[in-house]
Amino acid sequence: MPEKRERYQNRIELLQGTLDLLILQTLQWGPQHGYGISVTIRSRSGEILQVDTGSLYPALHRLEKQKWIKADWKVSENNQRAKFYQLTATGKKQLSKERSKWAQLSDAIAGVLNPEQ
Amino acid sequence: MWFWRRRKEGELEEEVRSHLEMAAKERVARGDTTEQAEGAARREFGNVELVKEVTRDVWGWRWLEDLYEDARFGLRMLWKNPGFTAVAVLTLALGIGANSAIFSLVNAILLKPLPYAHSERLVMAWEKVRLPSYQNDRNDPAPGNFVDWQKQNTVFQDMAAIRYRSFNLTGEGEPVRVEGEGVSASVFPMLQVNAVLGRVFTLDEDRPGVWVVLMSHALWVSRFGARPEIVGKTILLDGESYEVIGVLPEGFHFPDPDDQLWVPAAFTPSERVNHGSHYLRVVAELKPEINLPQARAQMDGIARHLTEQYPDTNTGVGVTLVPLSEQIVGNVRPALLTLMGAFGLTLLMVCANVGNLLLARGSVRRREMGIRVALGANRARILRQLLTESVLLALLGGAVGVVLAYWGVKSLAWVGPPDLPRINEIGVNGRVLLFTLGISVLAGIGFGIAPALEATRHDVEKSLKSGLRESPVGSRINLRNVLIVAEMAMGVVVLVGAGLLLRSFVRLAQAPLGFQTQNLQTFRVIPRGEKYSQLERRITFYKEAIEKIEALPGVKSASAVTFLPLTQAGGSKGFSIEGRAPFSPGQIPMADYDVMTPGYFQTMRIPLIEGRDFSWDDHSLTRRVIVINESMARTFWPHEDPLNKRIKEGQLDDPAPWLTVVGVAGDIRQFNVSTEPRPAMYFPVTQFKDARGVLRDWVVRSSGDSPALAAAVRSVIWSLDKDLPISRVRSMEQVRSTSIAPQAFNLLLLGLSGCLALILAAVGLYGVTSYAVAQRSREIGIRMALGAQPSDVRRHILKEGTRLAMTGLGVGAVAALALSRLIASLLYGITSTDPITFAAVAFVLTIVAVAACWIPARRATRVDPIEALRYE
Repeated sequence: MPEKRERYQNRIELLQGTLDLLILQTLQWGPQHGYGISVTIRSRSGEILQVDTGSLYPALHRLEKQKWIKADWKVSENNQRAKFYQLTATGKKQLSKERSKWAQLSDAIAGVLNPEQ
Repeated sequence: MWFWRRRKEGELEEEVRSHLEMAAKERVARGDTTEQAEGAARREFGNVELVKEVTRDVWGWRWLEDLYEDARFGLRMLWKNPGFTAVAVLTLALGIGANSAIFSLVNAILLKPLPYAHSERLVMAWEKVRLPSYQNDRNDPAPGNFVDWQKQNTVFQDMAAIRYRSFNLTGEGEPVRVEGEGVSASVFPMLQVNAVLGRVFTLDEDRPGVWVVLMSHALWVSRFGARPEIVGKTILLDGESYEVIGVLPEGFHFPDPDDQLWVPAAFTPSERVNHGSHYLRVVAELKPEINLPQARAQMDGIARHLTEQYPDTNTGVGVTLVPLSEQIVGNVRPALLTLMGAFGLTLLMVCANVGNLLLARGSVRRREMGIRVALGANRARILRQLLTESVLLALLGGAVGVVLAYWGVKSLAWVGPPDLPRINEIGVNGRVLLFTLGISVLAGIGFGIAPALEATRHDVEKSLKSGLRESPVGSRINLRNVLIVAEMAMGVVVLVGAGLLLRSFVRLAQAPLGFQTQNLQTFRVIPRGEKYSQLERRITFYKEAIEKIEALPGVKSASAVTFLPLTQAGGSKGFSIEGRAPFSPGQIPMADYDVMTPGYFQTMRIPLIEGRDFSWDDHSLTRRVIVINESMARTFWPHEDPLNKRIKEGQLDDPAPWLTVVGVAGDIRQFNVSTEPRPAMYFPVTQFKDARGVLRDWVVRSSGDSPALAAAVRSVIWSLDKDLPISRVRSMEQVRSTSIAPQAFNLLLLGLSGCLALILAAVGLYGVTSYAVAQRSREIGIRMALGAQPSDVRRHILKEGTRLAMTGLGVGAVAALALSRLIASLLYGITSTDPITFAAVAFVLTIVAVAACWIPARRATRVDPIEALRYE
């Protein structure tokens, strides 16, 4: 196992839609605050996807505006007040839509990269 | 909305803070110190403010907050430059305020519907007379025609006739003269007007022998103390007892603003079939499903039918239908629209001036713009901010302008012409304010867009260097020059308009009237009522009154007449000449007429060309005499002497008596100052039996100005009959100036706009030239260093400035030639392309242009070449 992992110096420019998908998926596993979401995405992606807060928070507020997630002020695990986000019913539907779109996209790209299979 | 915003802001703040805390805590848990942890967390987070900013963007309220910030900044900028702000705001206030004032006139007079229900369905019906000798599209209908129109039409809901009445109201207090109308009973339901006390006429009451009257609210309050017992009370009008059956609502004065009493029209049976005497006004209401063209078509048909039935009286008589609103405001419309146009142009000139001011300031703010761009603002953002500042400036100007407009409109009561229609509806109301807001915003964008585009054009580096003093040499066709040329052109158009109106007015005021107006006092006394129903009694009254008045000290002569000149009053009659071939019906010649006591021509100083004046001895009813005027003599007896010839009213075979011409008098202007003299015949009161032709106005020629004259005359009249009211006491000069008051008013306003335009043009040219001198000081310095004399420099600058002005003059002259025909209807005695006016305007503007460029040119000569060259 290589010691040094591929670490992207620059934060990955995730397409806006993809970031939305990741956030919605993260929240699928339970309500979470902004910091927690960024930590989760980073750890689950093997330290590869480090979400820029300059993208994360606008995305969170945009998703909230579109009523796919909703926010609540709660006390976090270390007794701090934090803004917790959770999926709404429409958010869940949007998540499955995004997932199938992503599956389609990756199949399409795979089709181009490996044409004989 | 702000609370919600602030709360969201607070939440965002807290959210970010908690993120940082949690990140820091995690690092501490992994072994970093607190400081290291916090620092690393913040670095990882990134630019906190930027993150917040981008997040806020999502909320979508960004543009509103930006606008607010821009406005605040703009206000601060304006505050810090009080000189610029004051000049700009004042200029804008004048331009916008003037337009608001004119718009409040236009709104009240032309745009708002009349204060009567269904006013869009109300029309006035006139006779359209087309005869070889007489044409009038709005001839007063005869009662016979009214009756037939009413009977035969199917397009009108109803028709009502109005006949002019005026009464001597006596009995309680001083006798007073009251204007009124005789109206058909249907007029009140037509206008949907009901009495506030009592009731209006019933259809049954509209016949002779019923003595009922309706009173106006104003008269009820002023004369009868607003007592409710007025209903049922009798009052004495012309010596007759009338019962007051109702009081009409406040503010109701139909059709004339002076009307205070209304009696039934009460046509007698003979009047109902009289198709030859024309004195009515007719109002009609269209049925809801009928439109005006349909109504016109049917009435034309009815008129043709009547022409066949009554060829003697109705040949050449058609029908004109005029919407009531058109009737009331129609003759004011051209003047109002002209004024709107003129003041609109001055507003454009104001915008050009303020635009130039902003352009000059723009170059000063170039550094500021460079810094903004460096800090990340994009061009659209800066543009928006600059436009916000412009609109703010315009709104400030508009606010001050509204105040000016308010005062201006209020002063209308003193300055305005007395017969301005709907004058009590004029005011600065909601719609006017909305209009002001609208043109302020438009003006702000208009004069702000070009300077804003210019200011954001240059790239960053050039601006950040202190290269302020650039010399944009060479290109003459820059924005500033285009603006000033356009401004001068517009100024020319406005000044030409004002100039034409001025010359027109001077012509009008100096038009020869045919009589002398100085030292001539006029007043109105009408002997009415039972006492004066006999001709003899009336003649005695006139004779005695004139004798006594002429006995007063300082009085040279006195006389009485039916239609006082220049009061828009008159009448006309058809006639036939003895010994000539009879005219076919409809070809009969018409002449104006008037009735007078002997001595009228002398009192008025009208020359008697031939023959003699009337005398009190001309009362024989067998040998009736008339005097004709020059026009009539020239037209109908071109190669003969009209003296002792005979004519008669109507057709040759009518039973009317023969009238012998005993004198020819000089032409006078009868109807108003601008109407040329027409053929006219004059009857002596001693032989005029028709009670409707009672003499109304008196003229007294005195040897000088005697203020006591009016009082002395009053006591003479009252010594003969204490119940006769005396009204309309004014000098003939006053009558004359009242008759040209509308034109004077137009001239005043258009003249104001002309002065404004002149000042704006001068200031604008001065500003542009000053700026050019400042910009080109290096060039001037070089010239002087190379040997140019101060006078050369001055001449050079003057030439540049005046060249701009002349270009503007040229463009403006062409535009004015094209546009001036639009105001041709307002002019009298001159054409719309009057060369003297154009030449005068060109002359004045040239002088002003040279004067405006003079000071900057002198300043240019004071440029120190060494200083100018040193300033890199």
